[in-house]
Amino acid sequence: MASASAAQSKATVAKGEQAAQTAEAAETTAVSLPSRREFLYYIWGASFALIAGEITAGVLWFAFPRFAEGEFGGTFTIDPTELPEAGGAPVSKPEGRFWLSRPVLDGQDTFVALYAVCTHLGCLPKWVDVNNRFECPCHGSKFQSSGLYIEGPAPRSMDRFRTTITFSDGTTVTSNDSGDPIPLEGRTIVSIQVDTGSRIRRAGKV
Amino acid sequence: MSVLPFPSFLDDVKEKGLRKALFEGADEVMERLTAGMNIQDVREALRGENPSRRPNPRLTPHADGFWLHMRPSYFNVEMTGIYPTFRLGWLSTYFVFFETITGFILMFWYTPSPEIAYGDMLRMLNNVPFGQFVRDLHRLGAEAMVLIVFLHMLRTFYTGSYKKPRQFTWFTGVILLIVTGFLSFTGYLLPWDQLALWAVTIGASMAEATPLIGEQVNLIVRGGPEMGAAGLLRFYMAHVLLLPILLFVFTGVHYYKVIIHGHSLPPQSENIGEDTAKRVPLDKRVYFIPDVLTSEVMWFAVTTFILVMLCVWFYHAPLESHADPQVTPLGTTAPWYFLWIQGALKLGDKTFWGVIFPTILLGFLMIVPYIDLTPSRRFADRRFALSVSFVMLAMTVVTSYMGLPEFGVATAPDQEILNELTFEPAHNHVGLLRPVPFDQLVVGAYTTREFAAEEGDAAAAINAFGAELEETGQLRELTDHLTAAHLTLPALSFSSVPADAPRLRHVMEEFHRMIEAENIELLNGWGVVIITQNQQDLKRIDIIINWQDIVLEDGRPVLDSNGQPIPVVDDNGRPVRRTSSKHIFINENSAYFD
Repeated sequence: MASASAAQSKATVAKGEQAAQTAEAAETTAVSLPSRREFLYYIWGASFALIAGEITAGVLWFAFPRFAEGEFGGTFTIDPTELPEAGGAPVSKPEGRFWLSRPVLDGQDTFVALYAVCTHLGCLPKWVDVNNRFECPCHGSKFQSSGLYIEGPAPRSMDRFRTTITFSDGTTVTSNDSGDPIPLEGRTIVSIQVDTGSRIRRAGKV
Repeated sequence: MSVLPFPSFLDDVKEKGLRKALFEGADEVMERLTAGMNIQDVREALRGENPSRRPNPRLTPHADGFWLHMRPSYFNVEMTGIYPTFRLGWLSTYFVFFETITGFILMFWYTPSPEIAYGDMLRMLNNVPFGQFVRDLHRLGAEAMVLIVFLHMLRTFYTGSYKKPRQFTWFTGVILLIVTGFLSFTGYLLPWDQLALWAVTIGASMAEATPLIGEQVNLIVRGGPEMGAAGLLRFYMAHVLLLPILLFVFTGVHYYKVIIHGHSLPPQSENIGEDTAKRVPLDKRVYFIPDVLTSEVMWFAVTTFILVMLCVWFYHAPLESHADPQVTPLGTTAPWYFLWIQGALKLGDKTFWGVIFPTILLGFLMIVPYIDLTPSRRFADRRFALSVSFVMLAMTVVTSYMGLPEFGVATAPDQEILNELTFEPAHNHVGLLRPVPFDQLVVGAYTTREFAAEEGDAAAAINAFGAELEETGQLRELTDHLTAAHLTLPALSFSSVPADAPRLRHVMEEFHRMIEAENIELLNGWGVVIITQNQQDLKRIDIIINWQDIVLEDGRPVLDSNGQPIPVVDDNGRPVRRTSSKHIFINENSAYFD
């Protein structure tokens, strides 16, 4: 039995060599075709590479942060008495990491909930009352009370959270997809919902 | 016949006598411990005599022993002095071990959790014998290491030692530089104070600027949406495990390459294009045992001595207040070796300046030996390369200056002055009020108007001030303002700074000067400092600045035709005044060094 299979494998090897030689003879400068052993090694190596890739992907998935739904959870309900005056200094809500801001834009009283983290590198801009704007202490980015970019290395205006305002006449208004401040139009506010799980990035310095 | 049922040392005693057997036993132990040198060999080496037997026993520890197998058995005499390498490579390796050992010791008293870390720092600084000392050593060593490896790189560049055949050695060296930088960065976070948290938040946000995968990279590095418990733990793991492993592996590769090519000789010692480092003529050989070994032990002692002296008398690592994710302090700054990145970031887009620019810079450094193929290592033949290096050094200095907090990030003058008086220790400076001794912080209310008056009129000026506040209703506004800051004062009356509080007086004078210096933006301004004490060992200091509001545009004052600021008036035509304030607490045991 042993000798038969030995003879068989010898014949296989001989055939392989013959095939190799024929291939060699065909093109003198070509690399010879792999033998079966060599080919199987390559397949085995590829399987290792595949496993390595799978393990890497697994490790990254393992290392990814677990979210308890956004940083600070979901929605904050704001009482209208907490709001600043129209055009006044924004009020900070540190537990939600946002500012309640009531900028007056084109004569209109509006509301926007601005994410407190600077769009540059993660510091927290302060509201500087004297200069009537947000100023980031780290690299000097400056933003208006509406979150609009003024100057500095930040790449875009301040981010904001999707907000839903409920008025006394029963109507509700939600921020649009570009996160523009919501005009209040003189209506009486009953409550404000700020969804910190839904952060809107502005398209640029707009 | 054996003394015991098996052959043993006692047979030698029986055969040769106790004394001889003991000596021969000790001799054999010595030869085994040193991997080849017996007692006589060691004594000859220490006496400075030539070896008395062949083959030279001083080479056997290198051939047979593990510890010396990578160290060369002889050096070229030209490479044994301070010049031309200034021993910077040796010093870099010294710091690898120095930091590892001091770091290991610190691990006894540190837990990487935001709830525990800061307390651990306080305990280490106050309650652990030599705790502050070891921490200072570790921090000083880290800063020194960054400097030393950078100088090592500079030296290697200037002597052209990166050229053929040492290109790969240089390449691994740049990798080591990067690993050193990351070690410094990850270690920076561990004290979990304000300086740590914000410097690292900025740095980690740079990772977010990486194109395509930036946000994911940032999330994995931080382990959460903001730098918190998960981030601290990951940084700790990187700092004590991942990066040290990389450091040791690449140091091994780097040193191995240095040895098999040999230390490159000074450029003038060789013909251009030649590399004779491995072929050391017999008359130029200095053997490792005993000469280089004893020299290294001496340098080890000297360097350790210098570091210890520096930490005992001059250098103390800072610790600011507990990390507060909701407050970014004014003047957050990177450590000095990263100021160049912070400066570059102020130039514009963070993706370009924070990610692409450093990557290009480091990539360029890595490929220097592969693009500079000129054969000569001599200065005169390398003017272009040297000029490029000088330009880059100049750029580093400029961007480092730009990275300083003073450059480019000024805020309103009231905020600047309040900050100047109260800021936490950073870069060997601290807010002016903090180092005032506790007993000189006398409870009371003081005003800068005291120093606006002429000599001797201080008391009158203070009374006039008090009266002015009452009449204009500002006193009421002031107390309301303080109540909003949780300081309720039944009555507020101002007094002169006591004569036995000279430090406090000095600070008040400085406060007055700072307000006067901003006479346009802080028009007709005055400052008040109120010190209260509701607890035996704790005093509260409120600092208030009040000034006349002027018309501002874009944060800058609008001037009228005479170059004067325009006061803002209310509906009755009376000038509007603005108030800005801040308060700090000083504990009796606080120790601020100024």
